[in-house]
Amino acid sequence: MKSVIQFFNSVKLAIILIIIITLASILGTFIPQQRSFAEYTARYDQFSNILIRLEITDLYHSWWFITLLFLFSLNILVCTLTRFTPKLRRSFRPKKEFERKDLQTTKINSRFIKNWSLERTEEGIKKTLSSRHYRTKVNKKGNRTHILARKKMLGLFGSDVVHLGLLIILIGGIISGVAGFGANIKISEGHTVPVLNADFKLRLEKFETEYWPNGSVKDWKSTVTVLENENPILTKTVEVNHPLSYKGFVFYQSSYGWDWENPSLEIWAQKNTDPDFSKRVMLRLGEKAVLEEENIEISVLSFVPDFILNERNEAATRSLEPNNPAAFIEGWQGGEKIFSGWIFAKFPDFARMHSNVETDLNFELKGFEAPQYSGIQMSKDPGVNFIWAGCIILMIGLCLAFFWPPREIKILVEEAQGKTEIMASGLATKNKEIFKSEFEGLFTSLRRSK
Amino acid sequence: MNESTLFLITFILYISAAFFYFVFLFAKREKSARTGFGIAVLGLFVHTLALIWRTIESGHAPFTNMYESLSFLAWSSIFAYVIIEWKYKVQKAGPYFMLIVIGIMALASSPLMPKEATPLVPALQSYWLWLHVSVTLLGEAFFAIAFITSIMYLIADSREKKGTAKATALTSEKLDSISYRCVAVGFPLFTLGGLVFGMVWAYKAWGTYWSWDPKETWSLITWFVFALYLHTRIVMGWKGRRSASVAILGFLAALFTYFGVNYLLAGLHSYA
Repeated sequence: MKSVIQFFNSVKLAIILIIIITLASILGTFIPQQRSFAEYTARYDQFSNILIRLEITDLYHSWWFITLLFLFSLNILVCTLTRFTPKLRRSFRPKKEFERKDLQTTKINSRFIKNWSLERTEEGIKKTLSSRHYRTKVNKKGNRTHILARKKMLGLFGSDVVHLGLLIILIGGIISGVAGFGANIKISEGHTVPVLNADFKLRLEKFETEYWPNGSVKDWKSTVTVLENENPILTKTVEVNHPLSYKGFVFYQSSYGWDWENPSLEIWAQKNTDPDFSKRVMLRLGEKAVLEEENIEISVLSFVPDFILNERNEAATRSLEPNNPAAFIEGWQGGEKIFSGWIFAKFPDFARMHSNVETDLNFELKGFEAPQYSGIQMSKDPGVNFIWAGCIILMIGLCLAFFWPPREIKILVEEAQGKTEIMASGLATKNKEIFKSEFEGLFTSLRRSK
Repeated sequence: MNESTLFLITFILYISAAFFYFVFLFAKREKSARTGFGIAVLGLFVHTLALIWRTIESGHAPFTNMYESLSFLAWSSIFAYVIIEWKYKVQKAGPYFMLIVIGIMALASSPLMPKEATPLVPALQSYWLWLHVSVTLLGEAFFAIAFITSIMYLIADSREKKGTAKATALTSEKLDSISYRCVAVGFPLFTLGGLVFGMVWAYKAWGTYWSWDPKETWSLITWFVFALYLHTRIVMGWKGRRSASVAILGFLAALFTYFGVNYLLAGLHSYA
């Protein structure tokens, strides 16, 4: 156990770990993360197997990277704890007696003789030091007086507070990783969806897109209602940068799209031989409509927003944007299928029809609409409060460490033959130059004062 | 009068400031350094007006594309430099630092950077844009000064060792301490703006405070390098050459976070 603690109680280890974690992080930014196997084989060929086996393809969540972070946390913890007790002692139970030689061997020191009595010297020193906000502790021993003057001692703990903040952030990260979860909710206007692991549901009242004058998107707004046991609890508009929080669940506006599974289609029938013939039918998937004069029943079997033929020559969609909307329709007459095929909204002359019976009917896909849905990202992350607490502590620690430098001055006054000899030494770990000039100023003014 | 005229005036002022700083450097005229400083402060003032103008005109924070963000980086660099020179009297760093600022301004005004203010995409419409970008870039400006003073340290140190250092030159010891001061200011700012505000905003906009996006990862890498600088210096007592090298490395990491990630690596931070 002791040797384990000794191993982790090392700043060298911390430095080595920081270097390794940094190098690994750099590697992870140059090798694309969390892509498909095919992409890795295409990119790295035979090396892809090694990359995948070493989990470099998902480096930041790999066992070895997490182990490194864990070792680093342990390192921070041990280093902070072992240095904490001596600091506490130095701060709250400082040594109150100084030796001559100790005071003279420090870098910042001063030594002179005054024509003052011991008491008067003590008063003079206290007055001078308090003008610079030092607090003094006086310890009298015969003809010697020991004065310890200090200020901003809290700054001593700056680095410990920083480390505490970091550890809390790392704990928050672990909690997020273990207990946090999220889901993508696609929800159309007027619909209600259950929320994963929650005892409430979400209903989308309204979804709207706002545009800037130049046509680019300004904002997406989803007005949602939280329902508990079918009772509305609250209604809020969720926008980008303005999520909704409820019972630890947070809902973000993340995307939008169209529910192409449920399109409403407008199809026109025309005749080659009769230019005056023009009939409109409105159809949904699976519905049938009758062209009465022709005694033909039409139905739509499928719809894709962005038609493409895949490698097996099957109809598929390239994207969810309505770039090339196409519908597959069928025509029936008296129980017999007379034609079927794809019609395209953007290419009306390009219909691919297979006719079993001669017909001079033409079909055109003139309109298509699908209910728009709002993509809402749900997340529940119990680690997040640790992260914020850790961040605040970290920042307080940084301010203490950099802007609240502790100052310590040890003074030994010794009386002999009606005169006093003053010996002082100053100690500062940070901003030494500033402290040095302050120290020199203090003792020069003391030496000159009458 | 409009924003681009003000920007041009600023640019000219910065170039003149650099000119006077170089006169000071080569002709050893103390007065020129003061003139250079004065012109730089004037430039900072005009630049501030330009940024305010742009904010009013576009209706959003003046750092939403590369041009705006470079212009703001130049502004914060001058701002940081004015503070450091005023506090620590490092006129000698002026000429070199002004060169960096001129480089940033030149890059901002190059035709590669589209200048028109475009309406903001939904993700950027947040007051966190102000907090996140301004504090981060200000922190990076202090890293830039540390970079310059660290390079100057390396040169001064080798001259002192060879005995060719001039009596008027800044001592390597002072340069070393100024580098540390700059990191000591830049590091908390970068932590607050880049990492903390970044995480808060990411959580508000994307629903996750950390997603190992390349820009996030590179900010963390930059943070690690400066953490290394601080620990090797404060705990292990590194000073001088090794310390300066780490500071230089840290600024290069910050530079890569700022530029490299945008052009070389794809990720969520696709705006700027």
